[in-house]
Amino acid sequence: MKLKSWLTLYRLLIRTSIRSRMQYKFNFLLAAVLAALIQISEFLMVAIVLHKFGAIQGWSIYEVGYLFAVMTLSKTLYRTFADEVHHLEKYLVSGDFDQLLTRPMPVLLALMPQNFRIMLGEVLQGGFILCWSLGGMMKGGQVSWTAVPSTLFIIGTGAVILFSIGLATATIGFWTTRIGELQTFTEDAARTAAQYPLSIYPKWMSSLLLIVIPVGFVNYIPSLYILRGELGAWVLAASAGVAIVCLAASLRFWRFGITKYQSTGS
Amino acid sequence: MIEARNLYKEFKTPVVREGRFSGIRTLFSREYRHKEAVCGISFQVERGESVGYIGPNGAGKSTTIKMLTGILHPTSGEVSVGGLNPHKDRRKAVRQLGVVFGQRSQLWWDLPVKDSYDILAQMYDVSPADKNQRLNQFAELLDLNEFWETPVRKLSLGQRMRADIAAAMLHDPELLFLDEPTIGLDVHAKVNIRQFLRTLNQDFGKTILLTTHDMDDIEQLCNRVMVIDHGQLTYDGTIPSLREMIGLPTSIRIKFRGAYHVPEDLDRRAHSHLFRVTGMEDDTVMIEANRTEVSTMEIIRIVGTWGEIDDIAMEEPEFEEVIRSYSAS
Repeated sequence: MKLKSWLTLYRLLIRTSIRSRMQYKFNFLLAAVLAALIQISEFLMVAIVLHKFGAIQGWSIYEVGYLFAVMTLSKTLYRTFADEVHHLEKYLVSGDFDQLLTRPMPVLLALMPQNFRIMLGEVLQGGFILCWSLGGMMKGGQVSWTAVPSTLFIIGTGAVILFSIGLATATIGFWTTRIGELQTFTEDAARTAAQYPLSIYPKWMSSLLLIVIPVGFVNYIPSLYILRGELGAWVLAASAGVAIVCLAASLRFWRFGITKYQSTGS
Repeated sequence: MIEARNLYKEFKTPVVREGRFSGIRTLFSREYRHKEAVCGISFQVERGESVGYIGPNGAGKSTTIKMLTGILHPTSGEVSVGGLNPHKDRRKAVRQLGVVFGQRSQLWWDLPVKDSYDILAQMYDVSPADKNQRLNQFAELLDLNEFWETPVRKLSLGQRMRADIAAAMLHDPELLFLDEPTIGLDVHAKVNIRQFLRTLNQDFGKTILLTTHDMDDIEQLCNRVMVIDHGQLTYDGTIPSLREMIGLPTSIRIKFRGAYHVPEDLDRRAHSHLFRVTGMEDDTVMIEANRTEVSTMEIIRIVGTWGEIDDIAMEEPEFEEVIRSYSAS
């Protein structure tokens, strides 16, 4: 199959997913409103923290806002395209994963467009905080316009890293079927922790967040260079490198996991 | 067309822990429950055959089909479908298969039926001309037109199954796997689906392998039957010889209005081999007959000469039971 027809198929599946969701218009709207409300309350939380404490261990309010925004946008990008990877458990429990395996296409490519999410609330919230913090730093002369393309770049590599972590966690479900609690740990807790500068944590924990679950490479490490000029431009390349290595490793693990799929009785 | 060599599948599930953090504790648990679902099955199916795969619940039917279609990887043993290994070369192998699971739809639940066909055509690289030509054919044979525009979730079970079978054949595969295609359907829907499958097999030369609990499916569709029990093939052969082996009698209970008279010389009459009397009560006679040899009407005609029939109750031999007792012996 040629690349062009893969893309056509992928677009068709995404359109299908959106159309399916539109069948339940009320639910669709309610979900959108609720997501926006959750985002607003999350934003208020951060705003209060920043307002109360201002700088955190030498990190200014703008810098912390930047870390938060990059993480939110990376996560949004990951979840927009690959929300079903995060929700693999329901396919394993119901046995619906069977259907995906009978399709003549890569399983992930069949799985991901099953539910294409339009996460407008997250995009607006993350975008707003990002503009606000970058704007503040530009006005203060800390960063220049060159920070914008670098930021977009690390949002992309960050999404790949988060996707890889999500995929590796989901793959464990082929052995355990249930993965909810593990996800709380590897995805939610790790991501929440990395919304703040890793230097505030004890050494073992920041190492954990850089080596075992490399969420630190989503926002913290690159921002050392982008915002503070520390380390060097190679940090961006290193982040991309981490993203590629994570992706390759998690895809390999995923392919191995599929051979251990147990399906369900009928 | 299909070749299974020494297929073996063992399920290994960690024993689930109770209580807090059960997920993580289960993950690190070393306790496993082992279950051998399929133990050493080998067979070959030639092009154009129509094979029924039967056995009691939990015997390993679905597990076998899932291994043949590349969904499950066997613990050991090898599969080849149409010359390809569905585990090493899944994408290519499944392209030449049609797969239908009676309990599960492969259609897009919230969209009109016709939209699912558009997506599948794109997925399997079927040209619009081929798609339309095949769908016209299927629509005629399976009466798809009546629910063409209906969202799949609003279809009746029979309609959904017809739509699903058409979907599985849209890319014109040589080989069709069906797991319980008639489960839960009414008689009319069953007849319709059997007719379609027969057409596929006899007129288009498609190879079919199906599992079922319905003996009529087997009798009307299959020229070969395989019986699996406890993960092992216990029978592989033609239907007539299976019928001979499992030709268990139907028990019939006949209630007479008033007096009746069973002829004493029953054993010596011409129809004596057709049934035998197993018991007599006040106003009822119990007989056993092999209904592959004698029709119910014939029995009623003969028994009707004994007295005035009030009521008849029949008990078919339970197919599952038959298979089980056959496997046990």
